[in-house]
Amino acid sequence: MSNELVIQELHANIGDKEILKGVNLTVTPGSIHAIMGPNGSGKSTLSYALMGHPNYTITSGEVWYKGQNILELEANERSKLGMFLAFQYPVSIPGVTVANFLRSAMNAHRSVEGKDPKETAIPMAQFRKAIREQMSALSIDEVFARRYLNDGFSGGEKKRIEILQMAMLKPSMAIMDETDSGLDIDALRVVSEGVNTLASQNTDMGVMVITHYQRLLNYIKPHYVSVMMDGRIVRSGGPELALELEEKGYDWIREAVLSASES
Amino acid sequence: MMTTQSSQLSELTAAQIVEAASAAGEPAWMVERREAAWQAYSASEAPFWRRTDLTKLQTDTLMVPSAVQSTNLVWDASLAAQGVVFTTLAQALRDHPELVQKYFGTAIADEHRYRMLHSALWQDGAFLYVPKNVMIETPLRAVYSLADGSQSTFPHTIVVLERGASASFIEEYSSADQPNQVLCAPASEIFIGDGASLRYVALQAWGNGVYHIGAQRVMFGRDANCDWVALNLGATLQHLETESNLLGDGSKVNWVAAILANGTQVLLNAPWLRHSGTNTEGHMDFKTVVKDSGYTTFDGMIKIDHESRGTITRLEEHALHLSPKARSDSIPGLKIDTNDVAQAGHASTSGEVDDEQLFYMLSRGIPRAEAVHMIVTGFFEPVIDRIPDEALRERVAEMVEAKL
Repeated sequence: MSNELVIQELHANIGDKEILKGVNLTVTPGSIHAIMGPNGSGKSTLSYALMGHPNYTITSGEVWYKGQNILELEANERSKLGMFLAFQYPVSIPGVTVANFLRSAMNAHRSVEGKDPKETAIPMAQFRKAIREQMSALSIDEVFARRYLNDGFSGGEKKRIEILQMAMLKPSMAIMDETDSGLDIDALRVVSEGVNTLASQNTDMGVMVITHYQRLLNYIKPHYVSVMMDGRIVRSGGPELALELEEKGYDWIREAVLSASES
Repeated sequence: MMTTQSSQLSELTAAQIVEAASAAGEPAWMVERREAAWQAYSASEAPFWRRTDLTKLQTDTLMVPSAVQSTNLVWDASLAAQGVVFTTLAQALRDHPELVQKYFGTAIADEHRYRMLHSALWQDGAFLYVPKNVMIETPLRAVYSLADGSQSTFPHTIVVLERGASASFIEEYSSADQPNQVLCAPASEIFIGDGASLRYVALQAWGNGVYHIGAQRVMFGRDANCDWVALNLGATLQHLETESNLLGDGSKVNWVAAILANGTQVLLNAPWLRHSGTNTEGHMDFKTVVKDSGYTTFDGMIKIDHESRGTITRLEEHALHLSPKARSDSIPGLKIDTNDVAQAGHASTSGEVDDEQLFYMLSRGIPRAEAVHMIVTGFFEPVIDRIPDEALRERVAEMVEAKL
C-alpha cells in the first residue's frame, strides 16, 4: 500500500467544459509540493476533483492513494483515508457549532464498520482538551468553539478554523487551496505556522499547496514546485522555480510551452 | 379523573348548550355569548380557504365535550402569594368573572365558523394573570391533550401581563395518534401591558388524526415586549392564524418559528405582524422543513398602519425540501400605509439542502445521511435555542429527531 498520491492522466469537466486536460503528478509522503499557476489554469478544480466535489465530472484518469483508486470513493471515504482539503472559501453551516462539527468529523474518522459508534467515539474530556490545545496554538479564542461554523467569520478566522480542523483530524495528505487568499500578513503567519507544525509532527504527511503567489511559499517552504497551465502540469522543479515565477511572471513559461508544442 | 361527558356535534342544540353552561354556573354574559356563537355557527357556511382543504373533515360525527377534560397546568403555586392567578379558564370564570369578561373575545373575533364553534363550545382553557411589576422566572405551562374517545377540543387561553410584569408562558398541544378524526379549534388571547415582557412558546405537537384550526393573537401595550417561539410539528392538518399587534408605541416582537411537515401533513401558517404604534419593532424568522409528501404554506402579512411612524420590520422565511414530493408555498405580503418607515426588509429562500454545505461536511469524513441530518437540525437550532426551558428544548429536539 503506497502512501504516495499518484495522479494519472486526470481529465475533468465542469458541465461540458473540460478544465483538467490530463494531469500527471505524484506527491510523496513527507514532501511539500506547491502547485502554482495563473488564474483559470485549473488549480482549484484539481483540488476539488481530488476531494470528490459533485460539480466536477471526471471523464478519464486515475488517482491512487493507499492502494485505492480514490475516484471511486465518496468524499467522506477519501477523508477517512487521510485526505484533507483546506478550502479557499470555507462554507458556513448555521446552527452547527464548531465544536459539534469537529466532534462529528472526528467520530466519523474513528468509526469502525460493525462497531457501535458509541464505543469508538472520542471521550468528551479528551475532545475538550484536544480542541482547547489546538485553538490556543492557532490563537483562536475559545468562544469560537460554541459559534456556528464559519457563520459570520472573517476571512482570516475561516482560514484558522480550516487549520484547526486539519490539526484535529491529522490527515496524511493535505491539500491547501489558495490558503493565502484574503489573508493579511499576521493571519498568513499564524496559518502557515499551523501547517508547518503539523508537517513537523507528522513527517509522513504529504502536502499539496495550491497558490497563485510566491508569497505563501516564503512561509511554507516547498520541496517541489509544479506549474499548471490550461489544465496540465507544464513544468516541475525545485523551490527555485517559484522564485523564477515571482520574478518573471507566467508568460515566459507559456511561451516556452507553446514553442515546445509547435516544434 | 374528571368524568367526561360528550355528544355528537350534529345532535347538539342551542338549548343543550345554554342548559349546560347555566348548570355549570357560568355568568349570563357567557351563556348568551355561547348561544349567539352557536346560532352564528349554525347559519354559517364553510370558509373558502385556497390552501386548506377541509373536505375530508367529517364535522357531523365529531364528538364534542361538555366539561373541562384535558387542561393540565404546571406552575409554582406559591406565586399565588404575589397575586398571580393561573387556573383553568372555567375556574377563572367562577373566581374572577370581571377579569375574564374584560378580556374574553376582545382580541379574537368570531370571524369564521370554526371560531364560532370555538366560542360556543369551549370547555378547556387556561387563564394566566400576572399583576403589576411581578417578575416570574420559571415558565408556566398550559398543556392541552385529548381525553379518551377522540373528543374534539376548543381550548381558550387568556394571558394578561399587567404593567411592568414579566413571565414565560408555554402553551402546548400534544397527544398520541388518534384512531378517529379530532378537531382542535383553540383561541389564545394574549395581552402584554405597558413595559411588560413575555416569553411565549406555542407548541403544536398533536398526533395524526387531529385537525388543528386555531388562532393566537398578542396585543402589545406601550414598550411591551414579546419573544414568541412557535413550533408546528404535529397534526394531520393545521390552519393557524396568528397575529402580533404592536399597538403600543415602542413595542417590540421577536417572533421565530420552526415548522416541520412529514408524511402527508398539511401545515398552514398565516402570521400577521401589525405595526400600529410609533417606533415599533418586529422581527420574524420562520423556518420550514418539508419531507415525504408534506405540504406547508406560509401566508404572512406585514401591515404598517397610517399612524405608525419609525417602524423597524424584518421578515425572514426559509424552507428546506428533503424529498421531491415535499412542497412549500410562500405568500408573503407587505402593506404600508405610512410614508415614514425606518427599516423594512424581507428575505426568503426555498430549496434542497445546499450542495456546498453537504460537500464541505463530507470532505471532513461525515457520512451523507448524518451530514443532511446535521444541516437540518442546525437549520432549526436558532429557533429551538430560544425556548426558555431546558427540558422542553430537549423534548422538541427529540420530536424533530423522530420526525426526521
